[in-house]
Amino acid sequence: MMAVLRNSAWSTIGELGKTTMFGCEVVGNLLRYGTPFRGLLLQMYVVGVRSISTTVFTGFFVGAIMAIQIHLQLRDFGAQAFLGGLSASVTLRNVGPLLIAFILSGKVGAYTTAELGTMQVTDQISAIRCLGMDPIRYLVAPRFLAVVVSSFLLLVIGLMTAIGGGALIAALDLGVNTLNYVQNIPTIVTGWSILTGVAKSFVFGVIIAAVSCYRGYTTRNGASGVGENVKSASVQTLVTIIIADFALSNWIGGLMDFCTEVLGW
Amino acid sequence: MVTAIGAHTLRILSHPVEIAYFFTQFLKLLARQLGTGRFRFRQTVDQLYSVGVESAGVIFFSIGVVSLILVLEFSFHMKLVLHQDSLVPAFSTVLLIRELGPVVTALLLVSRVGAGLAAEIATMKITDQIDALRLLSIEPFDYLVVPRWIAVWLAAVLLTILSIGVAILGGATIAAIKLGYGFGEYFNSMFTFSHFSDLIGCIIKASVFGNLLPLIACYHGFKAKPGSEGVGMAATSAVVEGSIVVILADFVVTYLFYTL
Repeated sequence: MMAVLRNSAWSTIGELGKTTMFGCEVVGNLLRYGTPFRGLLLQMYVVGVRSISTTVFTGFFVGAIMAIQIHLQLRDFGAQAFLGGLSASVTLRNVGPLLIAFILSGKVGAYTTAELGTMQVTDQISAIRCLGMDPIRYLVAPRFLAVVVSSFLLLVIGLMTAIGGGALIAALDLGVNTLNYVQNIPTIVTGWSILTGVAKSFVFGVIIAAVSCYRGYTTRNGASGVGENVKSASVQTLVTIIIADFALSNWIGGLMDFCTEVLGW
Repeated sequence: MVTAIGAHTLRILSHPVEIAYFFTQFLKLLARQLGTGRFRFRQTVDQLYSVGVESAGVIFFSIGVVSLILVLEFSFHMKLVLHQDSLVPAFSTVLLIRELGPVVTALLLVSRVGAGLAAEIATMKITDQIDALRLLSIEPFDYLVVPRWIAVWLAAVLLTILSIGVAILGGATIAAIKLGYGFGEYFNSMFTFSHFSDLIGCIIKASVFGNLLPLIACYHGFKAKPGSEGVGMAATSAVVEGSIVVILADFVVTYLFYTL
């Protein structure tokens, strides 16, 4: 039992390390050679623009769900005036980035893994190497950059939609009119909360890109290997996102305390 | 233009209809298995092991970390609004039972199990194993889908309840370390706002998710196109559609259960 646990813990940590090294290699490649702009735009269209409707849809419902839940808790105190601020803040800082990143890890991450994995098992990547080109530079680097940029932008779009979704369900069903809802938001949501949401979005974008490119690029064992790698890529993305979420919450909270208490901003 | 709109509409509409047909097939075969007393008990237990036991570690770890974030964030908000954080255990437990426990477990199951099921069945399909089953006059749907379905359903409900327990322990630990609560204090004030009906709501949510997830995963597995591209696409669309449906079903169940 303990041996199994220890082995699985070591292999998980090993996978994380390999993913990080692969990510560093791709970033180094990007810094050294850059990437063709047209290829980047094409990739951003494929992974980004096509996911907008999914993200907006998800963000809307995440905001609505959080508004209902916070409303249920505040109702017992008669403190519905705080609904706007609290649900926007919880959505922006914490639940929103987490749940929307979960969806994007499927929509953007699993798609990239499946695509690169199919190229790998059908020997297209070896073919590119035979032509004397570097597959990391021509295939992985533009995808990596495109996934980082578009996940970040999609998460920010999703968070904005979530606030809209919360306001709409509050006005339609919970009896808090939109003006009160929106006016209450700045009393609780500060610049630090927005910074937390945006920083989390960026880090989650990097995680999705690194894990999905690494998993796709190292696919083996034919068709069943592609399926297996899509599965493990999405699980690994989810777990890494959750850990990063905790770390970022902690660090940005600490930074905020430092700035307000020590520097007096 | 008109043709394009028509084709698009048909494609969008045919999807839920096919999934609904899939569901009726499942119910019919399950009724037949139970009615003739030939319930595939062994396969179900095997699947329950591979779905439930093997996903348990990942799910418990993740929900534990989520509960740490939740308690810290709640303490931040409580200090902002009420200028004290004595209600953190009660509020975070309520949100955990009603919302985050079932949803995070379901989303993790979607990627761990949904993608796995879709990839497994798609691989079987493109390597002609499903046709081989038909040749042996075993109904593939009966043999492959029904045991997995029951296993995922049971696993979703059980894992959700267990993961809420893990999350409460995690929350109590971080509250003891960071916020200066005693364990006894935390457990005492934990259930101030949660009722028994919240647990029922949580089980209803989990079993709705547990039914939708194998439905979508197996559907995409059976519809897979040939080649390794098809397997990748099947797994991808199982994850994407599964997670969207989980969020949507969460909204519907929350709305019906709590606001009506």
